[in-house]
Amino acid sequence: MNKLIVKRAAVLGAGVMGAQIAAHLANAGVPVLLFDLPAKEGDKNGVVNKALDGLRKLEPSPLASASRLRHIAAANYDEHLPLLAGCDLVIEAIAERMDWKHALYARIAPHLSDAAILASNTSGLSINVLAEGLPEPARVRFCGIHFFNPPRYMHLVEIIATRSSDAAMLDRLETWLTSRLGKGVIRALDTPNFIANRVGVFSMLAVMHHTATFGLGFDEVDALTGPKIGRPKSATYRTADVVGLDTLAHVIRTMQETLPDDPWHRHFAVPAWLEALIGQGALGQKTRCGIFRKQGKEIQVLDLQQRDYRPAQASVAAEVEEMLKMRRPAEKFAALRGSNHPQAQFLWAIFRDVFHYCAVQLEHIADNARDVDLALRWGFGWAQGPLETWQAAGWESIAQAIAADIASGKALSTAPLPAWVTADGRGGVHAAQGSWSAARGEYAPRSVLPVYRRQIFPEVVLGETAGTPEKSGQTLFENEGVRLWVLPEIDAGIGILSFKSKMHAIGDEVLDGVLAAVELAERTLDGVVVWHQAPFAVGANLKQIGTACAAGQFEMLEQTIAKFQRASLAFKYAQVPVVAAVQGMALGGGCEFVMHAGHRVLALESYIGLVEAGVGLIPGGGGCKEFALRAAAWAAQSATPGEVMNFLQPVFQAIAMAKVSKSAEEAIDYGFARPSDTVLFNAHELLHVALREARALAEAGYAPPLKARDIPVAGRTGIANFEMMLVNMKEGAMISAHDYKVARAAAVALCGGEVEAGSRVDEDWLLAVERQEFMKLLRTPETQARIAQMMETGKPLRN
Amino acid sequence: MTNTRQIRDAYIVAASRLPVARRNGMFRNVRPDDMLAHAIRAVMDQAPGLDPARIGDVIVGCAMPEAEQGMNVARIGLLLAGLPNTVPGITINRFCSSGLQAVANAADQIRLGLADVMIAAGAESMSAMPQIMGNKVALNPAVFAQPENIGIAYGMGLTAEKVASQWKISREDQDAFALASHQKACAAIAAGHFRAETTPYPIREHLPDLASGTVKIRQRMADTDEGPRADSAPDKLAKLKPVFHARGSVTAGNSSQMSDGAAAVLLVSEPVLKELGLAPLARFVGFAVAGVPPEIMGIGPIAAIPKVLQQTGIRQDELDWIELNEAFAAQSLAVMRELGLNPEKVNPLGGAIALGHPLGATGAIRTATVTHGLRRTSGRYGMVTMCIGTGMGAAGIFERL
Repeated sequence: MNKLIVKRAAVLGAGVMGAQIAAHLANAGVPVLLFDLPAKEGDKNGVVNKALDGLRKLEPSPLASASRLRHIAAANYDEHLPLLAGCDLVIEAIAERMDWKHALYARIAPHLSDAAILASNTSGLSINVLAEGLPEPARVRFCGIHFFNPPRYMHLVEIIATRSSDAAMLDRLETWLTSRLGKGVIRALDTPNFIANRVGVFSMLAVMHHTATFGLGFDEVDALTGPKIGRPKSATYRTADVVGLDTLAHVIRTMQETLPDDPWHRHFAVPAWLEALIGQGALGQKTRCGIFRKQGKEIQVLDLQQRDYRPAQASVAAEVEEMLKMRRPAEKFAALRGSNHPQAQFLWAIFRDVFHYCAVQLEHIADNARDVDLALRWGFGWAQGPLETWQAAGWESIAQAIAADIASGKALSTAPLPAWVTADGRGGVHAAQGSWSAARGEYAPRSVLPVYRRQIFPEVVLGETAGTPEKSGQTLFENEGVRLWVLPEIDAGIGILSFKSKMHAIGDEVLDGVLAAVELAERTLDGVVVWHQAPFAVGANLKQIGTACAAGQFEMLEQTIAKFQRASLAFKYAQVPVVAAVQGMALGGGCEFVMHAGHRVLALESYIGLVEAGVGLIPGGGGCKEFALRAAAWAAQSATPGEVMNFLQPVFQAIAMAKVSKSAEEAIDYGFARPSDTVLFNAHELLHVALREARALAEAGYAPPLKARDIPVAGRTGIANFEMMLVNMKEGAMISAHDYKVARAAAVALCGGEVEAGSRVDEDWLLAVERQEFMKLLRTPETQARIAQMMETGKPLRN
Repeated sequence: MTNTRQIRDAYIVAASRLPVARRNGMFRNVRPDDMLAHAIRAVMDQAPGLDPARIGDVIVGCAMPEAEQGMNVARIGLLLAGLPNTVPGITINRFCSSGLQAVANAADQIRLGLADVMIAAGAESMSAMPQIMGNKVALNPAVFAQPENIGIAYGMGLTAEKVASQWKISREDQDAFALASHQKACAAIAAGHFRAETTPYPIREHLPDLASGTVKIRQRMADTDEGPRADSAPDKLAKLKPVFHARGSVTAGNSSQMSDGAAAVLLVSEPVLKELGLAPLARFVGFAVAGVPPEIMGIGPIAAIPKVLQQTGIRQDELDWIELNEAFAAQSLAVMRELGLNPEKVNPLGGAIALGHPLGATGAIRTATVTHGLRRTSGRYGMVTMCIGTGMGAAGIFERL
């Protein structure tokens, strides 16, 4: 199969989606031309320039780092269409109007190269009808490519083929989107709203319907339909506010127009209250007022009975809360269904109707059940897709319950469940041989596209039998904290070191495990990859530290810190390469481990930082030491080799303000990772790549770095410079006295102690200074109070 | 009438300045030594017939004499200006009063009979400084050893907050003062009141033209101060957040602007005045400088103004024009209220909040403003005064002739 090469891309339409798609292409190292209409006045690129400016301010940032913006060039249809000839991929993301899109296609078609892929990001229009706007030869290279908002963060991309799309082109595109852009690709059919929105928006409609039926408040429903049932924190109505109420209404109307034969058609209507809000210009987040609004510090919610806003109060009844906590899904669903509490009945109703809808529509909208479940996970942030949820709750009993509710008229539609649901004593839709394809009447295995071989442990739906990391491979060493194992079928010589602790926090048992595992690896292996599922590590085990503090065991704590430092050094000076495979958070001690590894493979979404200041501490596992060393190394390359201060300044701020990188690229900018490290866009490929990187380093004759000697430090003058910043912040009431003390300790550790500027020290000296400053802080009641509060509430204490 | 005649007087025969640019504004690519050379040439042009070889010394104030304005910028500037290499040059530094100090030192050389012709100047490019504290910050750790020295470590904005709270200067008053500064400056520009003191600067920039692969020369004439905002408005100022204190009142809007600028002043003795038949702009009357606590450095003029009035025997109400450097609205108002300065006589053409404050150049720039201003309005005595970082104040008095 030929590989898709995208040397340059174009995005047509600089709206919310178009601009953010352009940003993500730039993140992936693809230069982008971002087109829009020429501005009527002034600079003809005015519309796009404004959009680019918007990208800078958007939170969470669509840009992996601000400098990525430079790789998006503004363009307009009047002046720059000839530039399309140099683009290998053109993504159209203009307003959802068939006539406008056809007009644009006619205009751009003569400029497209013969090999370019043109893809539409439409979320509702028919891809086959869109293709009719193109000349015949261009249609083979046309398809739908449906991103979800925000495109950097939402994993899902739906690819929709037309009748004429070239199959090999689609495979190349899927491969590229998966590996280069890091997306989860689902092949959707050309049916209205495709898969994720079809089910996801139906689910919202069902929630709205039953909100009214059961007389619940919007805030109450959000409390019920958020994380408590495995859905995002923004739940239902806050999601609607974020999406934009006008946009939501538009999607609902599209369903109304395009799905006349859908058995649920009568429910595809914009509720009167929603129309009223839109009429008042209350469109949600973008107008700062929608279903929710913020008045001062208070969050208020629209109350339909009072016809006004009132303070929002999340309230889930205790008995319902108990049901939702039940570990076994079958019991949970039985309890919800059997309860008379309106909240429980509501929850059963919304699940039932979505199950019902998916069962009826599966054969029409998707190739198989896995596509539906993954689409909802990746496009709507559900922890579990609808069909796997059903399967987990007991396929047959739920099917019976749904059938009973259809019969009694409780379900939103009287459409019967399809025969396959209950045929052959079915126990679910996901099985060892694949996931059920209702259209084809067989189980569909996973895609065999070679790109998926890079995912050693792909995301699986419930019921699939793919191995979990914990139960795979051969164990070489294991203690309470870690497991060192190998995957012999991939590389028997590279060990995989995985932390077993909750959130991969680093406690005494992890430190012991790391030291033992590295020692074993040096003797018996060629390399080590530190890998487990996200997060990489949330830091030191605060509970252990807090408990020891309370017991006054400071000598033991000092030994633990020394052991932490030894563990970091073990990574750095191991005789075999240690490759950290990082995804998600790597905070505090986790960051220190990352910094000390011989090499790093980082998922784009890596959030790395030295956040110890939040609990009144400084990095004590070699983090301050490592930055003192790095500042000296950076200075050595400058015109003033002994002047480390300029290089310490940004580091000091990052530690004092507990800054966390918002991407792998930012982590490199902050100095937590290095420019020579590998950044991967698809976290599922981390282990695959890290194993190979470790092997390559070993094959290249890896030798650990020599211990740094003769390190110039900033000393007393450096400390005074930082203290000057701190004095101003404290006098300006921006930091507390204890913040001052913590930040000054970081300054001392970074500057190599109270010695003359330019003094030469070694690594052990720096470690000792770091340890002493750490222990001084640990002995203060303020730091102990911060640790205690963090343990109890998870929120930092400002004291 | 007060008699302030001295044994030997120093006369200002020319005082000229460049327009003041915002930091990283129109002078972003203009070097401070070039600005200085331009100002020196301007005052020499205003004294035709004066043999430049007679210049005793060129004294230049600069608050951050390093990098582009390092290497004794006075000597480099005067050579670039085309003065003979027999003319010496010295760079001096007393932070924000450096330019005024240069005028006082130059006058003193004449008053002592050590020289007959002197140039005093100031030059500062804050665009050239990576940060306000210069290229290499290296504070003495001893500052933190004694509580009374901690003020040395205070940023200027924080000292303004201390002044605001000690002298009870409200946010509203500070913002109103800032707005008035912009309004006065804009009106002065519109009326052409700065024209006589300003020498336009031809900016010539070498810019890479990536499309053509050539170096493009961009030329424009800078003739107007860049700082004043005609659209400054109370609601805009009120919206700005305090920068230096979480619950403070000092904002970017009621603080002086960081700027680039230069000015030169030509001073001669009475014999030279007569010999060449030069028309003096003003006579240098006196200068004083005084120290105050570093943590409230903004009140420096409260100490310096009475001192210079006493030295010269001039009464405060004899001053027709006072150029009080608006480091911050807070300290300006504190000084005015404490000393009872007549607001109508203070900064009639606006101040540093609108016009900008290129640290070491400001004293020389405002000497040009006050001497030309007195002449235009037929006033007699004028003053230039300012507060100085780490706690000092300076004040100089001039008499129109």
